[in-house]
Amino acid sequence: MKARLVILGIVIVLVCALIPPLVASSSSGGGEKKEFFIKARQYAYDPPRITVNKGDELHIRLASLDVVHGFFLEGHDIDAQIEPGVRQFKLRHPSEGKEFTDVNEVVFTVEHTGKFRYRCSHTCGTLHPFMQGELIVCPNYPFLAASGGTVGVLISTLLVIFLAGKKHKDAMPGGDAQ
Amino acid sequence: MGNQPANSVDKAKDAPKDSGQVKRFRIDLFEKIPFLKKFCKWRSFQFLAVFPNLVIFLFFLYAGLFGSRVGNRNIIIIFVWIFWWFLLITFMVPFASRIWCVLCPFPFFGEWFQRRALIKVRSGKTGGLRNKMFGLNKKWPKALSNIWLQDIGFLALCTFSALFLTRPIISVVVLGGLFLVATVLAFFYRQRAFCMYVCPVSGFQGLYAMTSMIELRAVDPQVCRKECKTKNCLTGSEKGWGCPWYQYVGKMERNNYCGLCMECVKSCPNDNISVFARPFCGDTQVKGYDESWKAFIMLALAMVYAVTLLGPWGTIRDWANIAEVRNWKGLGIYAGIIWFTALIAIPAVWALASWLGKLLAGVRSISTKEIFVKYSYMLVPLGLLAWIAFSFPLIMVNGSYIISVISDPLGWGWDLLGTADVAWRPILPEYTVYLQILLLLFGLFFALKRGYDISLTLYQDKSQAVRSIIPTGVVCAVIIFAFLRLFTG
Ligand code: SF4
Ligand code: SF4
Ligand code: SF4
Ligand SMILES: [Cu+2]
Repeated sequence: MKARLVILGIVIVLVCALIPPLVASSSSGGGEKKEFFIKARQYAYDPPRITVNKGDELHIRLASLDVVHGFFLEGHDIDAQIEPGVRQFKLRHPSEGKEFTDVNEVVFTVEHTGKFRYRCSHTCGTLHPFMQGELIVCPNYPFLAASGGTVGVLISTLLVIFLAGKKHKDAMPGGDAQ
Repeated sequence: MGNQPANSVDKAKDAPKDSGQVKRFRIDLFEKIPFLKKFCKWRSFQFLAVFPNLVIFLFFLYAGLFGSRVGNRNIIIIFVWIFWWFLLITFMVPFASRIWCVLCPFPFFGEWFQRRALIKVRSGKTGGLRNKMFGLNKKWPKALSNIWLQDIGFLALCTFSALFLTRPIISVVVLGGLFLVATVLAFFYRQRAFCMYVCPVSGFQGLYAMTSMIELRAVDPQVCRKECKTKNCLTGSEKGWGCPWYQYVGKMERNNYCGLCMECVKSCPNDNISVFARPFCGDTQVKGYDESWKAFIMLALAMVYAVTLLGPWGTIRDWANIAEVRNWKGLGIYAGIIWFTALIAIPAVWALASWLGKLLAGVRSISTKEIFVKYSYMLVPLGLLAWIAFSFPLIMVNGSYIISVISDPLGWGWDLLGTADVAWRPILPEYTVYLQILLLLFGLFFALKRGYDISLTLYQDKSQAVRSIIPTGVVCAVIIFAFLRLFTG
């Protein structure tokens, strides 16, 4: 009885978590060329958030409005150093080595969906550790699944405890109400 | 209020009636691990735990004063606000209750002054205690015998967090200031008045320690009630000091205000105290508005920090960053939002949900107030897990600073362990979102589960009980959704 209810609960959560990503996956898009010009300043990027579709080819130019900043893009093996007043910036791929090369733009295709932060990787002042922006690659499956999961946890927990109600004394870890 | 000092022994005599606490399974750790018991009974236990931390703490203050002014190159910033915070909220509190309060150096000098002893015990008479204690030993004012001071103090401190999180010198002022207040209060007030009623990091530790997987309790409360006449856990003996936190173990049923100092373990003549392992969220009672508001405040702060420190919005960071940007109007807006959310908006929503819960359950005799306070426990696992979800990226992203700063603690170009030049390198940052999702959903599950357990102590009928938690449960889900949106959306 108890095991069955737990399984029911888990199934509800999983189903709820799957629905939004499934719905979103049918929407088309992607494969376009998208250009962005991101300006860094103490302690934020402008635009703070860029949204693209999976499969898009991104062309990103970088500039700094005040001091030297970095641009470390999570999950994409990209790290740049941006000096103020210079059109070019320095780029490297951390997995390939420490050397920077001067470039005009960084070009890559987004293959994974979700939220990836770009952070400053060059100490630039007091709030430097918190300087970051967001790249959202749609459809944002982790977020969609988690949102569905939230509804799922709400429904399944309430439902399961309700069904288990009479048996709550042994269903709870170890005991009953005094 | 939950933390009435149980100073009078007479009051302690009546058996705890209808505590409303859900009784759970537990494992006696002293029985299972005899060495642990021996260690806790050892008189040098507390001193040996605190002393190294005192030395480290004083070194941090020195580093803050004379070391690099760049936050991430100074050990006081990296170790206190990143490393210590992370350990405290993700490990110490959920797994080991207030173990930090055993290690904490703040009360060291004050307690030394009161006891004039670092290790030994003095027997004698002071107030109701069986120990000789020094200082004025005044009672803490009744009106302040709650955690409102801690509620407001912590909120005030956190409004300016962007300052001390990043500036070594301001960290020194804050930490040194607390150290000083803790010491001075000990001259006037009995025992750990500072810890009970003033320390800003005390309130949330107490609140979230209710979730902890260990507890210190009487082995058999019947022995306390019926056989024990002396109540040495509270009053002390020649073997141990009376509880510095004013707790009477015979009736202690929550972790909130026990600093785990182990004095009672030493002084109990019946060997009736032990440390137990137990399931997550073992204590389920919030007592009083002061504790409910602590839960609201902590939740609001987690959200504000998620926006300010982990969000992409520069304007909000500028508002918080008053020292550099000097935008007082911005700081005003920022502070206004924090205080309004924490003190008014969340409580108002909670009150509405509690009222709806009362209507849905359809039982008149149970008041909205009771639902409001008791169900605010749901925000305890919820808030704790939200804080943990907030803190993981902090360490995964900035963890490499710990490794470099340990070789160059003052930012003077040293290289003690050869790790000073370790480059900043986030650890698997692209996977934090998955971890955060699991943590947040786990928090929501426990909020609902314990909410239901609590509702069963109020309502006879299970369907009334479930109906009564639906509105607050929905509020919890909305809060979790908001965090998911911030962290992963
Ligand atoms: S309550 Fe505060 S001052 Fe007291 S021991 Fe705990 S952390 Fe330290
Ligand atoms: S001294 Fe020991 S037996 Fe007596 S009340 Fe305290 S815990 Fe119980
Ligand atoms: S109850 Fe015991 S361990 Fe807890 S603070 Fe009091 S004396 Fe220390
Ligand atoms: Cu920067």
